[in-house]
Amino acid sequence: MADRVILTIGTKKGVFVAEAGKPRRSFALRGPFGPGIPVYSTLIDTRGTPRLYASSCNPFFGMKLLRSTDMGRSFKETKSAPAFPKDDGRALANIWALEPGAGKKELWCGVEPASLFRSNDGGDTWQMVPGISNHDHARKWEPGNGGLCMHTIIRDGKRLHLGISTGGHYVSEDGGETFQASNQGVGAGFTPDPYPEFGQCVHKMARHDDAPGRLYMQNHGGWAEWTGPGGPHPGIGVLRSDDHGRSWRSIAKGLPSDFGFPIVVHPHDADTVYVMPLDPATRSCPGAAPAVWRSENGGESWSRLARGLPKKQSYFTVLRDAMDVDRLKTPALYFGTTTGQLWIGREGGEQWDCLNDALPPIHNVKVAVV
Amino acid sequence: MAPTPTIRLHVPGPLRDYCGGAAQLSIQAPTVRTLLEELERSQSGLYGNLCDETGRLRRHLNLFVNSDNMRDLEGVDTKLAPGDEVILLPAVSGG
Repeated sequence: MADRVILTIGTKKGVFVAEAGKPRRSFALRGPFGPGIPVYSTLIDTRGTPRLYASSCNPFFGMKLLRSTDMGRSFKETKSAPAFPKDDGRALANIWALEPGAGKKELWCGVEPASLFRSNDGGDTWQMVPGISNHDHARKWEPGNGGLCMHTIIRDGKRLHLGISTGGHYVSEDGGETFQASNQGVGAGFTPDPYPEFGQCVHKMARHDDAPGRLYMQNHGGWAEWTGPGGPHPGIGVLRSDDHGRSWRSIAKGLPSDFGFPIVVHPHDADTVYVMPLDPATRSCPGAAPAVWRSENGGESWSRLARGLPKKQSYFTVLRDAMDVDRLKTPALYFGTTTGQLWIGREGGEQWDCLNDALPPIHNVKVAVV
Repeated sequence: MAPTPTIRLHVPGPLRDYCGGAAQLSIQAPTVRTLLEELERSQSGLYGNLCDETGRLRRHLNLFVNSDNMRDLEGVDTKLAPGDEVILLPAVSGG
């Protein structure tokens, strides 16, 4: 079978799957699966026979994890979803991150309230990872507007990076046994201490295999005008680390805003990174004119990519997991909006087309070539 | 000692797959609490949809004993009598 480009689109009313051939001229849409139920995380697991996963945040009957083994033509519940031990006292509120682990069947899952789970059987059974879930800091983390969520899981051999809102960045050097807060240079505009040990509102992180030690972070920026305790904190929203996340520095200079949610790295160039700057008050693009911004030198400078996007009066938000990039030779970017639009940025974001303009509000967009 | 009352539990449509397709279950339980405990023991898949990990009835799910919401009675300590109908209904929502 020829390569197919598969998109999973997690929305307020279920998960959709879109499929196209390599030219990506048009996408066939399927779904919704898990209809009517919000989906905040999806995963296209390309290890072996492709499997698609979607969380299903059922407000009535609790969290489910859906799995498809037929490329998104049907989904079934896994045998169980992550759950806290009965005597823990916490109850699962949402599933925010699904990432493949080692081998063909290991999965990692970040949840709300911020905790980490691991499955060794493709999602049928789950074990809580105590090193972070019961970390000394865990009961001190505070929820942000989106809830106290563990939204980013990045594997780098035995190293494991986690992004928590509002907990900050944590790293394990021993495969997930123990974790340390690692936030030097990661600012927080909402605490009297502008650079606390932990408690930052990390929005998303990304890395590339070709740049060992480098990480990019979209943090909760938008504090340049702040006049309260600690004074203004310009540029704390978009950050880079070159030492495996031990220290971070701003790369926000040149962006119209350092506030935003997603951050995505080019699949073939570790120096090319994409963000979508948002006005911190409205969570929409500055001037109501949407644009993705691209750096091709690791954040030293930025350029605006907006050809084909609306030029005015667009007030959508693109959430933390609603932007992704495919791995074809000339990759395309994709983002979904809170107003239900799904966009493709052809030629690495040079030309934007709306693939669908009437989906439910979009939380999550993932892409894979299978 | 009075015999343990048998009540009839009405299962909402979306949850019937978790109990073999049954629309109703006959269960012996003197209180709502013991009813839920019995479900945890004998219908664990169904129970997981009704209660979270802490054992609390899920927030947007209502449990009625006959026509009264258990929250207006004595919560999970509400006593059950032979022939009582226990009805589970998702809360109204929209948007």
